[in-house]
Parts: sequence; C-alpha cells; structure tokens
Amino acid sequence: MQRSIHRPHLLARPVVVALAAAVALTASACTKSEDDGSDKQKSSASADTEQKVVTPKAGSKTCTIDAYGAKKIDLKNATVGFSQSEKEANPFRIAETQSMKDEAKKRGVKLLTANAQSQFSKQISDVQDLLAKGADLLVIAPLNSDGWEPVFKAAAAKKVPIVTVDRKINATACKDYVSFIASDFVEQGRRAADQMIEATGGKGEVAILLGSAGNNVTTERTKGFKERIAEKAPDLKVVFEQTGDFAREKGQQVTEQLVQSKPGIKGIYAENDEMGLGAVAALKGAGKKAGAVKIVTVDGTRNAVNAIVDGWISGVVESNPRFGPLAFQTLDSFTQGKEVAEDIIIQDSAYTSDNAKQDVGKAY
Amino acid sequence: MAPPAEVLAIRGLSKTFPGVRALDGVDLVLRPGEVHALIGENGAGKSTLIKVLTGVYRPDAGTVEFQGRQVSFATPLEAQKAGISTIYQEVNLIPLLSVARNLFLGREPRTRLGLLDFARMNREAEETLRTYGVRVDVRQPLRTLGVGAQQMVALARAVATDARVVIMDEPTSSLEPREVETLFSVIRRLRDAGIAVVYVSHRLDELYAVCETVTVLRDGRRVHHGRLSELSRLDLVSTMLGRELGEVRAEGLTKFSGDHHAADTEPVLEAEGLTVPHKLHGVSVSIRPGEVVGLGGLLGSGRTETAKAISGALPIRSGKVVVAGTSLRGGSTPGAIRAGISLLPEDRKSEGIVPGLSVRENIALAALPRLSRFGMVSEARVDKIVNTFIERLRIKASSPHQKVGELSGGNQQKVLLARWLAMNPKVLLLDEPTRGIDVGAKAEVQKLVDELAEDGLGVLLISSDLEELIEGSDRVVVLKDGAVVGELTGEDVTEDTLMRTIAGDAPATAATKEVATDG
Amino acid sequence: MAEATVRTAAPLDKARILQWLQTYGVYAGVALLLIVNIVITPHFLSAENFRTQAVQVAPVIIVALGMALVIGTEGVDLSVGAVMALAASVLALYLGYGLLPALIAVALFAAVAGLANGALVALLGVQPIVATLALMVGGRGIALVMLPQLEDLHNPSLASLGSGDIVGVPYLILIAAALAVLIAFVVRRTTFGRQLLAIGDSRPAAQLAGLPVRRVLMVVYVVSGLLAAVAGVLATARLQASDPTSLGNLMELSAITAVVVGGTPLTGGRISIGGTVAGAVLIQLLTATLIKHDLPPSWTQIAQAIVIVCAVYAARGRGKR
Repeated sequence: MQRSIHRPHLLARPVVVALAAAVALTASACTKSEDDGSDKQKSSASADTEQKVVTPKAGSKTCTIDAYGAKKIDLKNATVGFSQSEKEANPFRIAETQSMKDEAKKRGVKLLTANAQSQFSKQISDVQDLLAKGADLLVIAPLNSDGWEPVFKAAAAKKVPIVTVDRKINATACKDYVSFIASDFVEQGRRAADQMIEATGGKGEVAILLGSAGNNVTTERTKGFKERIAEKAPDLKVVFEQTGDFAREKGQQVTEQLVQSKPGIKGIYAENDEMGLGAVAALKGAGKKAGAVKIVTVDGTRNAVNAIVDGWISGVVESNPRFGPLAFQTLDSFTQGKEVAEDIIIQDSAYTSDNAKQDVGKAY
Repeated sequence: MAPPAEVLAIRGLSKTFPGVRALDGVDLVLRPGEVHALIGENGAGKSTLIKVLTGVYRPDAGTVEFQGRQVSFATPLEAQKAGISTIYQEVNLIPLLSVARNLFLGREPRTRLGLLDFARMNREAEETLRTYGVRVDVRQPLRTLGVGAQQMVALARAVATDARVVIMDEPTSSLEPREVETLFSVIRRLRDAGIAVVYVSHRLDELYAVCETVTVLRDGRRVHHGRLSELSRLDLVSTMLGRELGEVRAEGLTKFSGDHHAADTEPVLEAEGLTVPHKLHGVSVSIRPGEVVGLGGLLGSGRTETAKAISGALPIRSGKVVVAGTSLRGGSTPGAIRAGISLLPEDRKSEGIVPGLSVRENIALAALPRLSRFGMVSEARVDKIVNTFIERLRIKASSPHQKVGELSGGNQQKVLLARWLAMNPKVLLLDEPTRGIDVGAKAEVQKLVDELAEDGLGVLLISSDLEELIEGSDRVVVLKDGAVVGELTGEDVTEDTLMRTIAGDAPATAATKEVATDG
Repeated sequence: MAEATVRTAAPLDKARILQWLQTYGVYAGVALLLIVNIVITPHFLSAENFRTQAVQVAPVIIVALGMALVIGTEGVDLSVGAVMALAASVLALYLGYGLLPALIAVALFAAVAGLANGALVALLGVQPIVATLALMVGGRGIALVMLPQLEDLHNPSLASLGSGDIVGVPYLILIAAALAVLIAFVVRRTTFGRQLLAIGDSRPAAQLAGLPVRRVLMVVYVVSGLLAAVAGVLATARLQASDPTSLGNLMELSAITAVVVGGTPLTGGRISIGGTVAGAVLIQLLTATLIKHDLPPSWTQIAQAIVIVCAVYAARGRGKR
C-alpha cells in the first residue's frame, strides 16, 4: 500500500470531490486504521462456537413438510434467501450474517442476501425480491413482529418455507412459517441475575442499564433479571434503572451519574455488552479499581469477554448470533421430510473469569 | 342601442387600515363587454379595491352588486366561483402539474367510471390554448412554459370558468411584445363575448390601445371616470398625479434651493444602454459632480430598476456603468459600492435598515472593513464616525445603541444616509428618500441632499412627489415603459413639461426623444 | 386617571418580564436547578460531580456554539450529529498515522462537509433546513461506510485528550471554555461577527449594503462543521472508541435546544453565547437530576419539552413587542 503517496493526493483534491473520493479511498483501504494488523478474523466459525439447542420439552410442537404443504427438495441444489433486518453495524448482526454466509459456503448452497437497513417496508420488499430472484427457502431475521401477511401470501403462492431467526413473528407456526430459532431473552436475564448474585454475594444495591425503550429484548432481559433476583436474592436491591439505548457512550454517561449519586452501588447489569463497556469506561474515569463494582452484561462480544480477562466485567451471558448452522440444519431436515421443532431455543453459553481466557476465541 | 345592464356596480366602497384610508367612497360601474382601465399611482387604492372585490378584504362601507344581486365574497375562491376571475402579475397556478391539468383544475372531465379523462382533457386543452396563440405540448408540466404562455393558460382558465368579470393586474409586466399583441386579441374576444374586463396597468399605450373606459384613483378616492378616448394622455397623467396643468403654485414648498452649481466637468457617473429583460430597454443616464438628476416617470416606468441596475443589485443583460472613468462589472453590489456608488433603496424597511441592530451598527455596517484592523472592529473609530454623523445629520435617537427599528421613518432614512456617507461615495442614488416620513424630517432630508450636492456629490433622485422632483433636480430624465423618453433641462424643469413628456403627446421642447430598440 | 395608569402599566410589566426571562431566564433556571440539587440530591455538592457534569456537557456546548452562529444567520444546521459521527470514523481510520495527522484529516472532512452545506445555502439558495438535512442523512451513511462498526481505540495521546487534565480541570472543559470565549469574541468584536448578525437580521439590506453575504454564510457553515468535528473527536477520545452508529445521535436537537433556550431567536440577527452555554448546562443539569433520582427516562424528554416551550413563549413575547 502506498499510503504516503495517496494521502497528500487526497488533501490536494478539490473539496467537493474529496468527500466522494474519501468514500472510495476508504473502500480501497487506503486509510490506516489503528487496529490494522490486529487479528480481526472473527468470522471463521469453529465447531466450538456453534449454537446448541435446548433439549425440547416433551410434547412441544413439531412441523413436517407434509403438514406445511411444501414440496420436498434437495437443499444442495436449492437457493436460500436470507433477509437481515438491521445494518451490519454491530457485532451481533455482523456475526449473524457472516455465519449464514459461511454455512452456505460450507454446504455449497447458493445464498442470496438482503439488508433492510432497519426499515420495515424495505424488508418486506427485500423478501419479495428474494422470492422473485428464485429463492426456494427463506431465512428471515425480522425487524418487526407484525405486518408480515404480504410476505406469507407471496411465499405460500410459491410454496417456499420460511424459518425466522432471533426475533419472533406473530403468526401461526407450521402454517405461515416453519420454525423460529432464537435465544430466550428472559432466560438470558435470569442467568445474568445468577451471575450478579454470585459476584455480589447476593447483597447490596445494583443498577440496571436498560436497552432501548419499547424493544422486546429490553423488556425480556429486564423481566428475567428481576424475577430471578426477587426469587433467589431478596437482599439484592435494584435501586437504579436508566436507559443506555444499547450504546456505549450513553452507558458511560448514565454510569457516571450513577456512581456520583450512589457511590455505594455494588453491581451494574448492562443489557448489552456495549453499555457494559461504557460503564467500564465511566468507572475507570471515576478512578474506581477493576472489580470494585461488579458488571454483568449480555451478548458475548469479544471486547466484553476481554474485559472479563482484565477483571472489569464479572460475567457475560452469551446471546449467540451464529444462526447459520442451525438454520441450515433445520432446513435440511425439513426438506428431507423429517420433523422439526416449531420453536427452537438456543442453549446460550456464558463467560466468567473461569473460562474467559480460554474461550475468548469463541466470542464474536 | 341601449347600453346593456350593469354586470358589476360598486358604490361608496370604503376601507380603512390603521392610519390609512385606503378607499374612500369609491364607485365603479362595469357593463358587459366593457374594457375598463383602472389606474392610479402607488397607494391610490387600486390593489385594495381589487382585493375587496375578490373577497380578500371586507369593506368598511359601501356595496358591491354583481349581476343585479348584492354580494359579499368571503374568499377569492367564492368570488371566482361566482364569476369574477383575477389574473395577477405572478401566475398562480401549479407549476408541476401538466398544462392541461392546470387548465381544467377543479372541473376535470371524467370518464363514465369517474376517472379523469386525460385524453379528452388534453385534446380540449390543446384546442382551447390554440385560440390563445399558445401551441405547446399540454402534457408537459406548466413550469416548462415561458411566463407569457403561463399567463395565457391562467387567462384561458379564468375565462373557461364562466367568468363574467375578469380583472387583470398588470398582465403585461412580464410579456414579450408579441405576447402582448396576443393578449390584446384575447381581451377583444372577451369583450365581444360580453365579458367585462378591468385592466390595471401603468403603460399608457396599452391603456389607449385596449380600454374603452377609465377610472382614476388617487389617495383612495375616485378622481375621474369616463370614456378614455375623451381624456388626453396629458390629462390622464395630470389627473393621476394630482397636478392641474398650469396650476399656479407657491414656490419653495420644498427645502431644495433649486440650483446647484454643477461643475462643468466630466460626469462622475455614466450609465449607458442599461437593459434588463422586461424592465429596462437601453436606459442611459449621466450625472456630473454636484448635480442632482431627477428620474421622472410613472410607477412601473423603470425608475427603481434603473437605480438598482446602476448599483449592481439588478443584473443587466447589456449596457455599462462607468464611475469616474472606471467601468464596473455588472451585477456586483460590493463592486459598485467600492467604486463609490451608494443606493438608498425604495423599500427602506426591508432593504435598507437592519431593524434589530442599533443605530451605531447600522451606520457602521457598510464601512466595517474600513473601521477594522485584522478583522477586528476598532470601537473607537466606529464611535468617531457614528458620533460625527449623528451630529451632522441630526439623527434623533435615545442613544447610539437604540435599535433602528424603533426610530421614526425620517431618522431611519438619516441613518441610511449616514451609512453611505461614511463610505465617502461619489454618487448617491436616492429612491423615494422622503416617502413615508413626516413633514419636518422630509424638509431636513431635502436640505441634506442639497448640501451633499453642494459638496460635489452626484445625486440621482427618484421621487413620486412631483414638487420634490422638480424643485430638487437640476435635470430630469423621463422614463416610460423602461426607456428614456425625454430629458428636461434648465427652464423646462417644470411639472407641466414633465407631465407632457410622460404623456408623450406633446414632447417638451428640450426633450430628446429616444425610441426603445429592444428586440 | 390612576386606574387607567394601572391598566396600561400591567401589560408593559408583562412584556418586561418576558424580555427579562428571555435574556436571563436560562441563568435563573441553571441557578434554580443547582440550588434544588444541592438541597435534595445526595453527593451533589462535590468537585467530582461538577466535573462529571461539565465533562458530559462539553461536547454539547461546542456543537451549540456553531449552531448559535448558524441560527444567528436565520439558518439551522441539522448535520452536526452526522458530522460528529463522520469525525469519529475518520479519526479511527487515520489514527494509525498518529493523532495529529488524524486530526488534520478530521478537520479536512469536517470543512468539506461544512462547505457542502454552505454552498447549498449561500450559492444555490437552498433552505438551510433542507440543505443540511441531506448531510444529516448522508453524513452518517458515509461514516458507516468508512467504519461499519464500533472500534476500540488504543492511542495514548487520544486517551489523555479525553481524560487528562490541567490542575484538575479536564481538557474537555478547557477546550469548550476556550472555544466559547473565542466565539463570543468573534460575535462581538469582529467585522465577521457584525456582518453575520446583519445578514441574519435582514439579508436583503445586508446585500444592498454590499456585505459579502455568500462568503459569511459559507464560513458560518464551515465553522459549524468544524466545531461539530471537535465535539466528535472529544467524545470519541473520552469513550476511547469510535462509534459512528450512535455518536452524535439527536445532537442537532440538543444543540438547537441549548441555543434557543439560551435566548438566541430562531429568526436570526441576535446571538447570545453566554445564554447558549447556559442553555446546554440547563439541559444537562435537568437530565442529570432526573437520572440521579432514577426517574423514568421519558420524564427527561417531557421536562426538556417544557423548557423549550417556556423559551419559545418568552421569545414570542419579545418578538411581539
């Protein structure tokens, strides 16, 4: 790379052109990022990181291709369409899309992808586009839970089975769609509570950094956490609940206010890793020592797991975004005529000081 | 042949705005097929009359009878539905809709299914517009048409809505000569179809070409009405301006001394062949140091535009401006100011003063760069200049820090004069410098103008006040329809010759008649 | 007679109160919130706490300074939040060359963004709200193209910029204070400042007075862009991570609120820098109060809305006079 030659060139360009040019230059990697050279190979999915399924309870509903009314096909020769909901701007979405791509490559299946950029109307047209382009099977990461009727109609007309991942659609399983594969967010909250109880010894005051308001992930992760605290550690009091909007800076700002006004706070439950890392930044800024305030977060990004190694975060409950293998496996079984479960709940793992160091490679 | 019954009869119409009696017992009667000229200078009450008629304003007193019934329209739409259509200077149609849609807006032909019948609409639109001399693709958006063609569409639309009365407010101000001809033929067709037309214009030639009857308004009153052919141009002008010919008047009503000793030297300003589309057609003016040159003419004759073109505020298509031997680049206000030209704009409140800033800031505004060092304002130098001019021009403000918006009109005008005098200009362009200011302040401003000319400035004076213009000017250049039609010098600088020159039917002896040669 | 005097005096007093409120209300509000917090909020009266509030509000103040200039010209700059994100991305991308080169690159991008806004407004006559809306949407898009996700930064110089101090006063606060003094000086003492106010008050008059209207407008938008970039760099330095996805989200609204609450009218022609700073502090204290007392986040929004309505009401009273 000829960085030293390119950069003055950029400086010398006419101003209006520069902005456009910058985009192009960035794309051609002519800039020098601080993290250049560091290992950014986060995508390669090893067997270790694969999602595992919670053993289904007896009597839970299943679906077969006959009940659904589609025709049997061989997955190997099929085209799979994947509709992503949000911009691949956070580690979760990046890992999710990458995992779909990796699995398709591994199995030699043709994969079409689309990204709705957080606009629901775009996602609807994305899916219809995928159908038009000849997708035989659909995997959808829905942005909304409602409003999917036009898609179901179009898919039913072509007899294309749908599997939804990470967010549920309000519709009839095995009729409108085949299966729903996701983490159990309430369970994640409960497990975070377990970690918090262990880290704090079950006593004292704790705070919650809530996710964005009106988001089901926020509601469920809060519900599970509070339920478990009330049930197992009544001496642990939630004295502070403020939103950090799932963003690091907001988590930092809110935590700064928190440690000022409640210096005796024992623990902070952050409903995603970013807010938790923001809390770490705030504690550092306030001159606290690592581990003085116990932080438990949910997601399992690499940065958060590294923070466990450094002693700033006590525990991370994983929310595994690597839906690829499980989604394809479900589609494979289904198209072969086997029974598949309607609700497939992932067994999320967790990181603590015990396993963080050796398992950091599994984090995304 | 008995005259047909009245289609519109306005009687005793009055309308008062705070501080102004805009209409004072005005009568106006229209018969079917009558083309009626409505004229008057600025503030005479024409637009108020039109707005009362079309439901924009409500009258304080008086009645409007339309087709035999007394009416009172609440909105322009109501007036339009009843049969009174108005065509304004600015076309008020929808630029993005197609020509045909505009023409049929609100009364589109429908198919049996209730859908718009585009085929029929386009066909009929094309036919209709052809009779107006407009041959265009009616499916194109309206904005792709020229202004003249758009005006024709507006007119066609007005007529097509079964109008009985069509009011045209300066319809030719943006038309080409060829388009004016088409407009006239349309007006004649309307006349033949029994539609009454109220025609508002300042262009005397047009009035005489197309109008049959006339109403002259002045200061909210009807001062004349009757057949236009019975009124000479000169009489028309003098009636409009409120000056009887040969009227004996007391000298020295204004504070002008009357004669300046213009140095018999090279002109400080020479403007040659200034041309601005639709507005100016080759106007030339020159001013010598110490000379006050008046710019005469009716409203809309191009006086303000001439001043703006000279000062760079109005881009010119051709022509040149030379100040003290150096030629200016057209269309640049800062350039003109640097060369020594200062303009006191007609619209003092919106284009002159900066109302929220103090007297001090307003005076220093244009001269700021000269009062600064390295971009930082030297308060001491500003204070010096500001105090000098507040004293010299006798500006009455509670302090230099009072907001200009709070001052009286006369003092605002003095602040503007101070702003320009701080620039040491060579030429002052004064556009209606005494309009809207009280008598005392008026006299003071006039005296100041005199003094400035004595000091060697070249002054261009625009005023609708004939006394002021005649007494204040050493020479008067007369404009009509955007061209110079004469120049009064010496003994000929009188109201009589001025009005004769404006009327154009008895050129003043000294007048150098120029013919507009704009293609 | 006496009665008549009383009757005419009453509305006059009301107008005077409104005018007082518009000029000094924001300072009174800040004082009131400080007193209330000292009384009711535990641990409020500590150097540490004031430092936290000041550090958090510093980027808002810096952006609001630029916004005040733009609003003074009867404009508005909606793109400031996006420019912050852009600054964060560019900073992360060029940090490998060292802090100074990265800062130069950031300044360059911000200046280009400001020039784009300025050109649309000053040269093409586009409405400021529309012109800057384009960059508000597009700017963040470009930022995300350059840096699709949050990236941790481990540059020691940058870290000390974000968390270092001089005799206990963080750099962030010093920089914000210095910029506030600088901008106040520009507004009050320079030719540029006076021309800016004249343009904001009456653009046609300024034009006919021969003022360099286009140049002044261009510079104003460039300055706004540069200040937003400074805020973006400082926020990034404090976070020690570049987060183009959420950095500067809704910053345009915070900045406009600070300016308006501070007594600068949206109609241009008048700028209060002191008021703008106080306006930002007022909103910060309000948010802090509600967070510290663990009230629902929606209350913060409602409280902000009430403050804005009060400010607009006071401004209206002034305008009518």
